[in-house]
Amino acid sequence: MVMAKVEVGAAPSLNVAERADGRSASQLRPLSLSRGLLTRAHGSATWSQENTTVLAAVYGPKPAAMKKENAERAIIEVVWRAKSGLSGSYEKDAEVVVRRSLEYIILTALHPNTAISVILQVINDDGSLLACAMNAACAALVDAGIPLNGLLSAVSCGVTHDGQVFLDPTKPEEQKCKAYVSFVFPSRRLSAVPELPADVDGEPVEYGILTSVTRGAMEVEEYFSCVENCRAAAAKVSEFSRSSIEQSLKGNRDGC
Amino acid sequence: MSHAGLRMSTNEKEFIVAAIREEQRIDGRTPFDYRRLQIKFLKEDGSVEVQLGQTRVLAVVKGEITQPYPDRGNEGSLAIFTEFSPMGDPAFEPGRPSEMAVELGRIIDRGLRESRAVDTESLCILSGRSVWSIRVDIHILDNYGNLVDAANLAALAALLSYRRPECTVGGDDGQQIIVHPPEVREPVGLIIHHLPIAVTFAFFGDGNFQVLDPNLKEEEVMGGRITITINSQGEICAVQKGGGVGVSASEVMRCLRIAAAKAQSMTETLKKAVEIHEIERAQRKIRRHPNLQNQIDTASSVPNPIKKIEVEMEETSEDIEPKQALDTERGIKDLSMSDSSRMKSTETEVAETLTEKPSRAGGRDLFAGGESAWGDDVKLTPLKGSPGTRSTLFPLDSDALVEFDVAARAVLRGGVSSQRMSSKLVSEPLQRQISDQIAAAAVYANQTSPLISEDARPLGPIFPRVGDMDSTEESDAALETKSCKLFHYAIAGFVQTTSN
Repeated sequence: MVMAKVEVGAAPSLNVAERADGRSASQLRPLSLSRGLLTRAHGSATWSQENTTVLAAVYGPKPAAMKKENAERAIIEVVWRAKSGLSGSYEKDAEVVVRRSLEYIILTALHPNTAISVILQVINDDGSLLACAMNAACAALVDAGIPLNGLLSAVSCGVTHDGQVFLDPTKPEEQKCKAYVSFVFPSRRLSAVPELPADVDGEPVEYGILTSVTRGAMEVEEYFSCVENCRAAAAKVSEFSRSSIEQSLKGNRDGC
Repeated sequence: MSHAGLRMSTNEKEFIVAAIREEQRIDGRTPFDYRRLQIKFLKEDGSVEVQLGQTRVLAVVKGEITQPYPDRGNEGSLAIFTEFSPMGDPAFEPGRPSEMAVELGRIIDRGLRESRAVDTESLCILSGRSVWSIRVDIHILDNYGNLVDAANLAALAALLSYRRPECTVGGDDGQQIIVHPPEVREPVGLIIHHLPIAVTFAFFGDGNFQVLDPNLKEEEVMGGRITITINSQGEICAVQKGGGVGVSASEVMRCLRIAAAKAQSMTETLKKAVEIHEIERAQRKIRRHPNLQNQIDTASSVPNPIKKIEVEMEETSEDIEPKQALDTERGIKDLSMSDSSRMKSTETEVAETLTEKPSRAGGRDLFAGGESAWGDDVKLTPLKGSPGTRSTLFPLDSDALVEFDVAARAVLRGGVSSQRMSSKLVSEPLQRQISDQIAAAAVYANQTSPLISEDARPLGPIFPRVGDMDSTEESDAALETKSCKLFHYAIAGFVQTTSN
């Protein structure tokens, strides 16, 4: 979990790199979210960023295994299933990252002695996989009705060898760029827990970086530039996911 | 066959069994009915999601070049991995596969691999050294009963849609393997000899009541189960009856007969779904050429095509009154100001590209189309359906197009019917061709209502009725535009027919 206070000047203007799908450097791929697909799971959601798709399922709160249960709070279990092949260290690492991010938003103290399982299945990987999975997990939690103190919005971006920052890399772009980073920002309009501060050191909580995972080496300035760009993009992602969830909930209410 | 995680009351269990004795099932099916089947092919080749009722299974096929087994030097290998992800059922624990998972894996393995459905000899690259090793991963997304049948179908569909990169043996010593990326050479599919379909029955009572494709609740109360893997030729690839209530031989034979029939219909469904997917895949490949679209967009900056037509007009408009000829020229100049100049130049562009061998398209089909420039409000069905758009349209090269343009204008201007077209305007063979085209376009025009859209799309369904045009009323510029549109329409029709 990384909390950083970032003091940056105006975001540097992005040069439009020639991207294979014709996007500009600050353009995200089309997003799509659908919830409630699975019958056995308590909550499920599929999040797609064009060709990258992750299906998330949530079970919980359910009884935890004896040796794992915690008398004070619910435990969160994350299982990451790769599309093909055996689970290796990448999957374990991703599970830890997702779990720690979710621990921030789930109100675990409300359900002691239980477990909340989040299972992520990679349907297709075309870059920005971690961000996609994080968004899917958050939407699945909402679908399952797990009490949360806010939502998450995740974005990833890459840095080219000549220092240009571009959002939402595809798989070939990730392989060719110098470094790429995935950010998770909290997305919270009203806190479910009013005692929690709305801002930290004068900066709204939504600007804080919840999780940051980098791959490859980049300069400090480039990193800060990534933060700025991703923050703006995360606001859009958050808007999309909220409106999508609200719409489907409205539908439910009318339908039943 | 109790199922951890699903708690049913005794009443519910007894009800299900009692209903089955009366040949009724709780979801309204008849005893030998499959649930609704949906086969969804995902974006990547070899990934398929199958939905059988509410049971969802994802199968992913991947290929890798490895060393062969020492005793099977010239055969590739096929391996099936089933992971019961905790997503599908709260009872599935991550980690060690449960006995259900192992059983499912074995049934599919026997049905697919041991029956030699997939040809492994064709997977050999270098005998004894390198072979393709195909791996099928089956993920259970949602368990609502009868995972075996769904997983088997998913595996089959995935194998049918999987494409492995083509590779050739070359190099100095003839021992080097060159794997061609999909952009260079089309990836090639697997050779599958037959399709073994798994059909599962559940037994109730003393084994004398059977149902096909049990759902989760029926599985909870069933006394026993049998899975028959059979192909559409009636060859039994595998039979699995692991424990459970004893069933008489005649009942088993009955199940076999039903399974044979079901396998045939399932094979048909599967083949049809794969076919539809293949067509979509091919269409996607054709549409994925942004090159042509870019050319169309930049064509407006090309002055040459317009000039070319101008020159032609001057030469061939001898028979037309000089005033009209001048007007025509003026008309062209007017056009070059307006948006339709872009249309005109693109016409010639498109015509040229159509007739050239498309090296830009990477050696693919004659028509390497880009993204359709037509918006959603354009209805394509009237264009496709009317007789004017069918095979009566012939490919015209750029000279013919110019002549056609001339002829079209002459027709519009003087109300000249195709028979009365002066032979000085066009050459004999071309005359026939063009008159057919005009007739076709006219037929079309009279059939459909005018869809006039003033936007500057390169090809648009804009065609006023030929009869409506009265050269005395309309300005020459407007007439120019209209004749332009007539001309464009005929091309549009041709373009549509070739792209279908």
